[in-house]
Amino acid sequence: PPNKSPQPLEKPQKRPPRALPPVPRFVMISANFQSDNNRKEQMDYLVCFIDDIPVNRPKKKKPRPKHTLVSTSLDGLVQAGVRRPSEGSEPPTKDPIEHPEAPVQRRHKKTRQPLELETSFTQKKASSPSLLQNENGIDVEPAEEAVIKKPRKKTKKTQPSGLQYANELGVEDEDIITDEQSTPEQQSIFTAPTGVSQPVGKVFVEKSRRFQAADRSELIKTTENIDVSMDMKPSWTTRDVALSVHRAFRMIGLFSHGFLAGCAVWNIVVIYVLAGDQLSNLSNLLQQYKTLAYPFQSLLYLLLALSTVSAFDRIDFAKTSVAVRSFLTLDPTALASFLYFTALILSLSQQMTSDRIHLYTPSSVNGSLWAAGIEEQILQPWIVVNLVVALLVGLSWLFLSYRPGMDLSEELMFSSDVEEYPDKDKGIKASS
Amino acid sequence: MLQTSNYSLVLSLQFLLLSYDLFVNSFSELLRMAPVIQLVLFIIQDIAILFNIIIIFLMFFNTFVFQAGLVNLLFHKFKGTIILTAVYFALSISLHVWVMNLRWKNSNRFVWTDGLQTLFVFQRLAAVLYCYFYKRTAVRLGDPRFYQDSLWLRKEFLQVRR
Repeated sequence: PPNKSPQPLEKPQKRPPRALPPVPRFVMISANFQSDNNRKEQMDYLVCFIDDIPVNRPKKKKPRPKHTLVSTSLDGLVQAGVRRPSEGSEPPTKDPIEHPEAPVQRRHKKTRQPLELETSFTQKKASSPSLLQNENGIDVEPAEEAVIKKPRKKTKKTQPSGLQYANELGVEDEDIITDEQSTPEQQSIFTAPTGVSQPVGKVFVEKSRRFQAADRSELIKTTENIDVSMDMKPSWTTRDVALSVHRAFRMIGLFSHGFLAGCAVWNIVVIYVLAGDQLSNLSNLLQQYKTLAYPFQSLLYLLLALSTVSAFDRIDFAKTSVAVRSFLTLDPTALASFLYFTALILSLSQQMTSDRIHLYTPSSVNGSLWAAGIEEQILQPWIVVNLVVALLVGLSWLFLSYRPGMDLSEELMFSSDVEEYPDKDKGIKASS
Repeated sequence: MLQTSNYSLVLSLQFLLLSYDLFVNSFSELLRMAPVIQLVLFIIQDIAILFNIIIIFLMFFNTFVFQAGLVNLLFHKFKGTIILTAVYFALSISLHVWVMNLRWKNSNRFVWTDGLQTLFVFQRLAAVLYCYFYKRTAVRLGDPRFYQDSLWLRKEFLQVRR
């Protein structure tokens, strides 16, 4: 029988120093022993960690109400457990190997926990069915020993800790150690005294600075319910907002593509009609068109800007690798965005001429910008550029309407929840 | 974690400022009845760009990536937007100063020179690119991945450390 483990019993029972500034962490260890007469006794230990040095204090003895005999001596219990040969599933030869690892393993678990809290939140859920099995099947083999280390619980009753709690409530197989021949050296102070034990249905929850027994299955149920409601709650996430804005802009872009094409064609038709046959009536064009020139130039810029941004969105221009590939494969959408950008440059380059048309006065007027005879020299390139812009814009519209649903930005930016963080994601960050 | 309502508010503010920018770029040449009108429009436009820069940086600071100390990663990811916005801001201010300087006495004067035309083209082109990149960044920052610890972030962290 171990020498160290009974020592804590002799210590005077006093309340743990809970109010001290370096807040100690408590671990409830509940051990349920089965003695010779098939009577069950339950021991609850409150292990207090202060700076990772556990202080083992027996907190209270909680015999189940139905049991009549309460054994107060731990030695007896442990001896009773030790006397019986292990009939557990594991062969006895394994025990010496396994046992020294056990405290180490636990220490790992303890340090790893805070990391796991955030990421592997849902992964542990699978353990809860096995837990229910365990606690319902109370009648296990009489000689089976198990020391259950209940997971450390946070004492603060905040919401996240409550959720995390649900996962930790489960009894995992690795938590149950089935060994008995524990030498004093091997038995670290982390472990509770070994004895015949098995999972119990009670958990001790700190409520108003006092631990109260609660049924484990009910706790799990309630916390799982919270879990479900938390899953249901964020029905409208920021990703959805972003996606809806993106789609709304695509609609605006779709409208501006068509409107721009129509406007440009109308503009060039008006210019040619006003200029007459073989551009013979340029002064008439200037007279009629001068009020229209600048507003149309402004409108053209607005629509071209919208269309260009929308076309860039469709090929995900910021992701250079994808965009270049689209250009090289002569993808219609990529061609359309290129044409839009060219049209934008051409249109902007005519700003000076548009202003000149806007400020047109006949050459006879003093201080006129339009000297006699230079009209054709200035207007000829302007008309050609306008024609080219109209053609480019019309072609882009045709190309885009070939595949109106194509939107690489949406596919690449918002698809990451289907397959979590695929490798192609690396491309996005490199370019954007 | 970024709240949906906050994000919607910020996103609408950003889009408001962007549309004002586009509006002034398109129609400021028309609205030159008095030089003061253009001056006020230009000043508000520059302030809007500045506001957008401030907002996007506040959004960066709000991300988990930034708070985890991966400023480099965030800059690497959005360097296009940051650089382009800065360039556009500089181009805008210089164009506005130049145009207002030429038009202050008489707003309906023909002021165009080749240099002004060139600056004008570059400023307007930068405006379109700025609009695209800024919009994309603002929408991308709505991705919940930027606001929580994740496997993806850990991979990025390892890559950055290398």
